Amino acid sequence: MDRNSMRSEKLSGLGLALMMGATMMLPLPALSLTTEEILNYRGPDREQILLEGAKKEGQVTLYCALIVNQALKPISDAFAKKYPFIKIAYWRADSEDIAAKLMAEVKANNLQADLVEGTGVGEMVIQAGLVQPYYTPMIEQVPQKYRDPAGIWTPTRLSYFSVAYNTKLVPPDDVPKTYEDLLDPKWKGKISWRIGSASGTSLFITNLRMAWGEEKARAYFEKLAAQKIVNFGSGSARTLVDRVIAGEYPIALNIFAHHPFISKAKGAPVNSQLMEPVATTAGTMVVPKGVKHPHASMLLADFILSKEGQTILSKAEYFPVRPDVEINETIKGVVPNLMGKTENFVGSEQLNKYTASSEEIYQNLFR
Amino acid sequence: MLILVLLILILPPTLFLIKVSIFTTKADGSFGDFTLRYYQQLFTGRFFFSALTNTAIYAIGSAVIAILLGTIQAIIVERTDTPGRGWVFLGAIISLGIPHVLYTVAWLLILGRSGPLNGLLLSAFGPQSVINVYSMWGMTLIEGVGFVPLTFLLMSSVLRSTDASFEEAAMMSGARPIKTFWTITLRMGLPGIMALLLLVFIRAFESFEVPALVGLAGNINVLTTNIYQSSKGTGAMDYGQSGAYSVCLLLIVVGLLYWYNRLSGHAHQYQTITGKGYRPRVIKLGRLRYVTSAILALMFMLVTGLPLIMLVFTSLQPFYEGVTPESFSRFTLDNYRILMGPGSFRDSISNTLILGASTSTFVVPFTALCAWMAARRKPGGWLLDQIATAPLVMPAIVMSVAFLYVFVNLPIPLYGTLLSVILASSVRFMPYGMRYAYAGVLQIHKELEEASMSSGAKQGNTFLRIVLPLLSASMVSSWLFIFLLAVQAVSLPLLLVGPGTEIVAVTLFDLWQNGQVTELASMGITWVSLMVVVSACFHMVTRRYQIMAS
Repeated sequence: MDRNSMRSEKLSGLGLALMMGATMMLPLPALSLTTEEILNYRGPDREQILLEGAKKEGQVTLYCALIVNQALKPISDAFAKKYPFIKIAYWRADSEDIAAKLMAEVKANNLQADLVEGTGVGEMVIQAGLVQPYYTPMIEQVPQKYRDPAGIWTPTRLSYFSVAYNTKLVPPDDVPKTYEDLLDPKWKGKISWRIGSASGTSLFITNLRMAWGEEKARAYFEKLAAQKIVNFGSGSARTLVDRVIAGEYPIALNIFAHHPFISKAKGAPVNSQLMEPVATTAGTMVVPKGVKHPHASMLLADFILSKEGQTILSKAEYFPVRPDVEINETIKGVVPNLMGKTENFVGSEQLNKYTASSEEIYQNLFR
Repeated sequence: MLILVLLILILPPTLFLIKVSIFTTKADGSFGDFTLRYYQQLFTGRFFFSALTNTAIYAIGSAVIAILLGTIQAIIVERTDTPGRGWVFLGAIISLGIPHVLYTVAWLLILGRSGPLNGLLLSAFGPQSVINVYSMWGMTLIEGVGFVPLTFLLMSSVLRSTDASFEEAAMMSGARPIKTFWTITLRMGLPGIMALLLLVFIRAFESFEVPALVGLAGNINVLTTNIYQSSKGTGAMDYGQSGAYSVCLLLIVVGLLYWYNRLSGHAHQYQTITGKGYRPRVIKLGRLRYVTSAILALMFMLVTGLPLIMLVFTSLQPFYEGVTPESFSRFTLDNYRILMGPGSFRDSISNTLILGASTSTFVVPFTALCAWMAARRKPGGWLLDQIATAPLVMPAIVMSVAFLYVFVNLPIPLYGTLLSVILASSVRFMPYGMRYAYAGVLQIHKELEEASMSSGAKQGNTFLRIVLPLLSASMVSSWLFIFLLAVQAVSLPLLLVGPGTEIVAVTLFDLWQNGQVTELASMGITWVSLMVVVSACFHMVTRRYQIMAS
């Protein structure tokens, strides 16, 4: 190469560099971010980027385990009102079914869901490797202990578990107040719990193993097995509480603490007894890999965790995860912190770690 | 060619079932290594033998109850002039219209510890006489009684197509009504009874809801609940054992069908629809008819009346505490108000009706054709019979997962549509259509078809213009039966519906998971009312177009 061409090369190289520099300084319209970047974006212009992207996407689909009429529909309606250019569709099912559907969709490359919420579904799909981390600034409002350090899930609502008892069959003096009280021989054959659900027997067992350590817990379970607990096999925790109300079983373990309160308000002879430590779990939200509408998905995630979204949940008798949202009056009495009881938060990691072995303990001791 | 259609529909879920039972399922739902451990677990589990014994007793007991009650009802309704016999159909429809789980719950409310029956026994005979419904007899009774509408509808359609001249001959020769029924009517109805035996027995082996709701609380395990308990705890999808069990049942069904086919090879014994013209005649009972009327009323109460009343009662309560004097003062319409409010209930009704009607309308004629080919020993007929009956052994949830995988992987956008649910639903209820149709075909004498063909009509024409009209009685019953069941199905459509294709049963399942028994009862009553209205419309349509043979 002769000197002239080298020079022109240098010049063109310089020119190119200058041009690039100049372009970089221009305010760029939505520089195509990857999905991963959109989901984890923390810049000050996050809201704007999401809005513009969502306008182009135009739709979002939520798979969720919330009750439709009281919670899911109001959230969907409120979201649609706030973002009229996003068409929101939702599908309600139990956590296991949501997980099954999501797995099938992701594997077939036919993903319909943009955001997934439920209690237990998060754990299943995380284990299956089907979700990706994301960030919503709303998480800053949530107490540290409920957050996921890996940033893969965010909590949406809390659940507290307690013991339900029939007030006509269990006189006030006899009400068991601690787990040890349950070992009293007079309760033999009179206690029941829900099997076949992650939030039934296994959660009860996991809770105590975490709180007391393996040895003490194991000794306790062996004594509890002698109480011949009735294995309630079909129906939800709510159904089991109905049975308690009907007088079929005087006591039921590990039910959702707020259900008896709701019935009590109508005059039913039932009450909820918190026992320390109170098993606590959270509903979680995750984003599937290959999500098709990431901008809209993030807006929805923000909304569910916003004050407005959490207030809707609270009205629907769920426990909000944000401390700045008022808890529903009817069920305030079951929040451990307000009642002076310690809660034991069983998060995703613990569930993944303990559930299988807890289930084995149930199979060996209680069947 | 028919075989091709059937294979396309039924082979994928069957293959899935087999695969699920011989491969492990990884955390992300895909198949892992080949293993026989599910079969091993199935047969060597701690509770296997007791569960097997329980299942056998349960299956036989409920089949006997169902067939006995259903046949007696059918004979009284179709063969006698008992007053009020038309109401039995209404009773059958109401029973079928109540979602099966709710029907079971209603019985538990009646017979439970705090139910009215125990209340009566307690006050009359003291605490020793209290009954425990969470026992083998409780399970068997509830399952048996729940099947009576099926057995009744099938037997009544069989009897309706049976020539009564045999019975007339018997009675003219001096046989009393009961002897006539026993030796003539019952024998004539044998194809129907055998079909029912097959259906109900296999269904009881596959049955899960009743054993779970009733048996588990009494610590009685059948095979299905045994599998459920040992594989569902962790919440992950592990259908391995379930699949293994179903594959075993499938083999049993194949065997049973083979035996059934051999027996129906002597089918000419049952052919009463001949060229000589037949007229099912009603036998006048004289004073006996008040007795039979009372029997019908009793059965009506047992099968339909009691659960219905219990549900109405419960739906008017703010919470259920047994039937006490106070509960009458607590009557409220709140539960209905909640149900009628804005929400997806109303939106999903049209989807549901389309689902039910499409399923029935596809299954009934299709299985009529298959059954005809099978019964007439046409080439490949036996294969059609086997394939069409195979879905009987698959648990609904496994079928649901199987279809989910099929549809989600299809290049055509079938996933999430109502059509996909209709297809899955059709597969599920094909065995019922098959048995109705088969029993019906057995009664038609070949000579009618032979006459048609020797006059020059081709096979297809013969089928359409001779066989189908003669099958009308069983087809109508079958249509209604399948419709009522298809709209109730929850586990099957659960994974296949998506946003926009909600159907009522799945929407209400939400309520089931989170609602109180009082709200569920109001939902059940509303649902039943809707089903009765639909059935009444259907009845008027068939009357109007004279689809029924008589």
